[in-house]
Amino acid sequence: MTTDELLRMESIVKTFPGVVANDEIDLTVRKGEVHGLLGENGAGKSTLMKVLYGLYTPDSGSIWLNGERLELEKPQNAIDAGIGMVHQHFKLIPRLTVAENIVLGSREPAASFRENGSEEGLVAKLSQSTPVQAVASRFTLGLEEPSHRIEGLADRYGFDIDPSATVHELGVGKQQRVEILKALYEDVDLLILDEPTAVLTPTEADRLFETLEELTEDDLSIIFITHKLEEVKAITDRVTVLQEGNNVGTVETDEVTKSDLARMMVGHEVLFDIDKEQFDTGQPVLEASGVRATDDRGIEALSGIDLTVNKGEVVGVAGVSGNGQKELAETMAGVRTPTEGEIRLKETDLTGASPRTFIDQGVSFVPEDRNRHGAAGDLSVMHNAAMKEFPDEQFGSGLRFDYDEVEEYASILVDEYDVRGVDTVKDAVAKDLSGGNLQKLIIARELHRDPALLVANQPTRGVDVGAIEFIRKRLLEQRKQGTAILFFSENLDELFDLSDRLLVLYEGEIVYRTTPEETSHEEVSMFMNAGEREKLTAVDASETAAAREGVTDGGKQ
Amino acid sequence: MLVDVEVNEREEIPSWLAYGTPVFTILAALLVGAVAILAVGESPIVAYDQMFVHTLTEMRNLSEVMVRAAPLILAGLAVYLPMKAGLWNIGAEGQLIAGAVAGTLVGLNVSLPQYALLPLMILAAGFAGACWGFIPAWLRAKWGINEIITTLLFTFIAIELQLYLVRGHMQGGFGGFPQTDRLSEAALLPSFTGFDIPSSIFLALLVVAGVYVLMEYTRLGFQITFVGSNDEAAEQAGMSKFKIVLFTLVVGGAFAALAGISEIAGNRGRLQASFEPGYGFTAIPIALLGRNGAFKVLLAALFFALLFVGGDSVSVAMDVPFALIEIIQALIILFLITAEFFKSYSIDISVGRAGSDPTEPAEVTAND
Amino acid sequence: MTDIAFLTGLAGATVTASTVLILAGLGELISERAGVLNLGVEGMMLAGALTGVVATVWTGNYWLGFFAGSLAGAALGSVHAFLCISLKADQAISGVMLTLLGIGLTSYFGSGWGDASFSGFPDRTVPVIGDLLLEIPIIGPALFEGPATDFIALLLVPAVWWLLYRTNVGLELISVGEDPETADTMGIDVFKMRYIAVLTGGLLAGAAGAHLSLAFNNLWANEMSAGQGWIAIALVIFARWRPVRLLLGAYLFGMFNALQIRSQGLDLAFSSESALSALNPVIEFLMDPAIMSMYAYIATIVVLVVTVVWSADNRSAEPGSLVQAYSRESD
Repeated sequence: MTTDELLRMESIVKTFPGVVANDEIDLTVRKGEVHGLLGENGAGKSTLMKVLYGLYTPDSGSIWLNGERLELEKPQNAIDAGIGMVHQHFKLIPRLTVAENIVLGSREPAASFRENGSEEGLVAKLSQSTPVQAVASRFTLGLEEPSHRIEGLADRYGFDIDPSATVHELGVGKQQRVEILKALYEDVDLLILDEPTAVLTPTEADRLFETLEELTEDDLSIIFITHKLEEVKAITDRVTVLQEGNNVGTVETDEVTKSDLARMMVGHEVLFDIDKEQFDTGQPVLEASGVRATDDRGIEALSGIDLTVNKGEVVGVAGVSGNGQKELAETMAGVRTPTEGEIRLKETDLTGASPRTFIDQGVSFVPEDRNRHGAAGDLSVMHNAAMKEFPDEQFGSGLRFDYDEVEEYASILVDEYDVRGVDTVKDAVAKDLSGGNLQKLIIARELHRDPALLVANQPTRGVDVGAIEFIRKRLLEQRKQGTAILFFSENLDELFDLSDRLLVLYEGEIVYRTTPEETSHEEVSMFMNAGEREKLTAVDASETAAAREGVTDGGKQ
Repeated sequence: MLVDVEVNEREEIPSWLAYGTPVFTILAALLVGAVAILAVGESPIVAYDQMFVHTLTEMRNLSEVMVRAAPLILAGLAVYLPMKAGLWNIGAEGQLIAGAVAGTLVGLNVSLPQYALLPLMILAAGFAGACWGFIPAWLRAKWGINEIITTLLFTFIAIELQLYLVRGHMQGGFGGFPQTDRLSEAALLPSFTGFDIPSSIFLALLVVAGVYVLMEYTRLGFQITFVGSNDEAAEQAGMSKFKIVLFTLVVGGAFAALAGISEIAGNRGRLQASFEPGYGFTAIPIALLGRNGAFKVLLAALFFALLFVGGDSVSVAMDVPFALIEIIQALIILFLITAEFFKSYSIDISVGRAGSDPTEPAEVTAND
Repeated sequence: MTDIAFLTGLAGATVTASTVLILAGLGELISERAGVLNLGVEGMMLAGALTGVVATVWTGNYWLGFFAGSLAGAALGSVHAFLCISLKADQAISGVMLTLLGIGLTSYFGSGWGDASFSGFPDRTVPVIGDLLLEIPIIGPALFEGPATDFIALLLVPAVWWLLYRTNVGLELISVGEDPETADTMGIDVFKMRYIAVLTGGLLAGAAGAHLSLAFNNLWANEMSAGQGWIAIALVIFARWRPVRLLLGAYLFGMFNALQIRSQGLDLAFSSESALSALNPVIEFLMDPAIMSMYAYIATIVVLVVTVVWSADNRSAEPGSLVQAYSRESD
């Protein structure tokens, strides 16, 4: 171990049922460096860091900090060892002040009861006695000393934060600083930041980078988890790339290009080889222009989207989760109202129309969160099958609603779409179905009505291999029937296999429009993670050309 | 000695547990009730015999049971319907009172033959109950304001309003008692002599059938069920949560109001200023017991009516206060809640001597 | 009746009527701040009232009776805590059930105790400076003369305030109610905190009931709490979960109560010569005791609506995790 090595994780293995999240990963971090941890969603970054922070126990492997072996059974152990973590979703209580949040749980007694070595006399001795301390730590609240310390820390790193401010009043950027202060307050040597810029504006992100530089000047080490290539280039000294649970390499940031990194992130084998017929697509079914929308927190998520999907065409949208996919899918499906722009379905203006109108006009939707938005878990398969179609005449005219018809309908869906784990559609409950089978049921429901437009957000996420293939085949069949399909995915294979046209969504905008034939995995990955294509060097250019050549054989790099 | 208690989530609910729950619950409550009876120095066997056997085998008692059952059924449905949509109608008592007041007002002041007066009274009552449910419903639908608190507060308002009216405008003629005049024959719900069956029970049965048809045979019922299970998915599916919330609470209010007027016009004959039968609160365990269907609500209400009549006769015949029934009522809910827990989780308790077990000690890590 | 005498009487009655609400309200406030809604206050109050009387008769000491009553409330509170925290049952149903149980149990076991004779809390004044304080016009006799329980309630308000905002335990309690996950991460024992909070709520509800029977009314009567448990719950929302506002709210409700009784003696009608005398029937209506009793409830609903609809940044004063059971998600 070299003298400037701070952290060493050796051969970390962590498995969950059915998946190996970390497959013998090694990681070393030097003192005073910013070390990037890069990888696609699902590559294992979060898991590795949760192991480091004591939230998970690894199946095997060891962790060494400053040459000492660490046994981490809970976060408190990690904090005691000097490891701090700033989570993506802040662990702050908005109603409390900055100081209160930082001090929470440490039971600091009021100033007069603090351990002051210099105090002499009976009163001082009494106040240090155990029972008095026990009472004081519970029934007093020491904020003065901590507030001074916090102010000191904040000044040192240029944070403009008032310890007595209520967290709720602070903007997101400042709240993140409070999270960082929380860690600094505990005197950490190593700070882990989990996708910190996901919630920041570009200006705030720059300020964060400045802060990080100052922190490292004080010999603090930082692990910076991200999927954004430009951030890696901007702030890290070295970067480790994870891919499907493996460490594919640790490199000095200055020595690689963004496309190098993209290639390291991606490269895996094609699992599915689907034959896709080529035929001419028809008239536009969906036309969106200038669409803007906000997310649930009120922050703009879509910044002016124009897109078209034609009859019998599959348009795939690539992008990393969190760049506006949810909002785009929901606005196109009519479940979310855009703040600006127009949405037309086959010449009919549907902007601002109700979900029911969209459904009646032939729009089907497979949402990202199937348990929350796609089905009612406590209800039967039969109920869920009829979730959208229930107003239809086939189930009874006027007020009448014939559950026998619904049962039949549900049975047809279950048969045709191979939904397994269903004894009878009436008795089987949706939440008892496996993820793949529930997804098949939802897709059955949405496709069986022969929609004009299908919007599907991550249709094969969390689905077992067999079901994945089935679903993809069904989507292509529906395409043959003339349905226009707009689907979102993080899986490049899937996008390349199924799409007629490819779009890349990045930070609420479409940054690339292409077709699978004209582009490569690496290029799309670049756009997904950087928002733009880096200028290719000569070496890269010839490699990309070679990749393109490989396309016509049906194989991919 | 080591006692190890392990709580594990169940994979599936054994059918004996699923179907037997209401039965076990009632048996458990009766058991605890037996202890209470012993505590006042009486024999539980004699008491329960009086309560159940005598009541069921004597004709006039059966008729009494049906008289009691009618408002309980209606009140039970008043809680049941909003419950299906995921709402708690704790204010059924207030809606009940609103209906009693409105219906009695009409009954005392409008002269019409019975076949016209009664329906008018029922309509007036239903309307009043619907109004009483409307404001909490709207507050919930529009702004998500907790309907438990609002329906409850409206109950208190109804009680005061009734006090004001019955001591004031509606007060009966002679003696200055805080009650209305007796309703005329035309305003009273008839009973079918010969069998002594009160017509209020038919009204109740009609509503049961109506609710059953609504939930089992209409699209609206389908939507209510769906909204009650997952309102977000329901909204994405084009269903209107707003309309469903309004509908169930307003109609629930109307049902409770019918309970109110049926108790006045079908049992008491006049409205007292202190009218507060408690059916609106009893309706809660009734709806919980019968949460799987309108007919189950009917059965639960009948059981509670039996309890009430039986409890009355026990308190007359023996030294056991009527409040026993209220205790059993509460215990049924208590055991229902605990049963819910046991349906979802199984508990394994193992007792052993420390150090004797050679198998690995249990390792508990914070988040595994 | 002179105006001063009227106001003094009114102030006195207000303070007296508010003690029940303060005690029960503070208990509910603590419970809800920790995230657990307790709708069983009414039942716990009755349990405290009856137990207080029984214990006082048996021991001859009303202080022992007061403590016994408080413990009775805590006992019912422990059932609620177990059901809601450990078994994760629906908090609303558990609470309503406990109210029904409390009403039923006290009605059942309380028959016969209505005639019990005992001596409850006598009126006292503050030691040493008591006579001086009584000199203060209107407020003096109202605040500084009464049963010991009145003083206890009054002192509890700043005590709870201090506990919540100036102690570590209070900070942790608030955090548990706002965001139990975060609190858990910071090393706080969420379950233990919630248990203590609910037990305290039950204890204070029982104390409120014991005050009712031992100090305010000096007797036991069936359902003597007359809905004040529910009002206490509404008060907590009205007070937006803050102790000082709770006190003011209790005084407000107590005043409505006292006004209602006293308004009989008041003549607020406009003289028949004035043009405004046309409003007299309206005034008569508004001053009717039953109508006046409604004001408290209507006020609560209005406050509720205003709170929710006009929250400046949609931030409610409600503890973030109120009514939700907490289970630590294991990965």
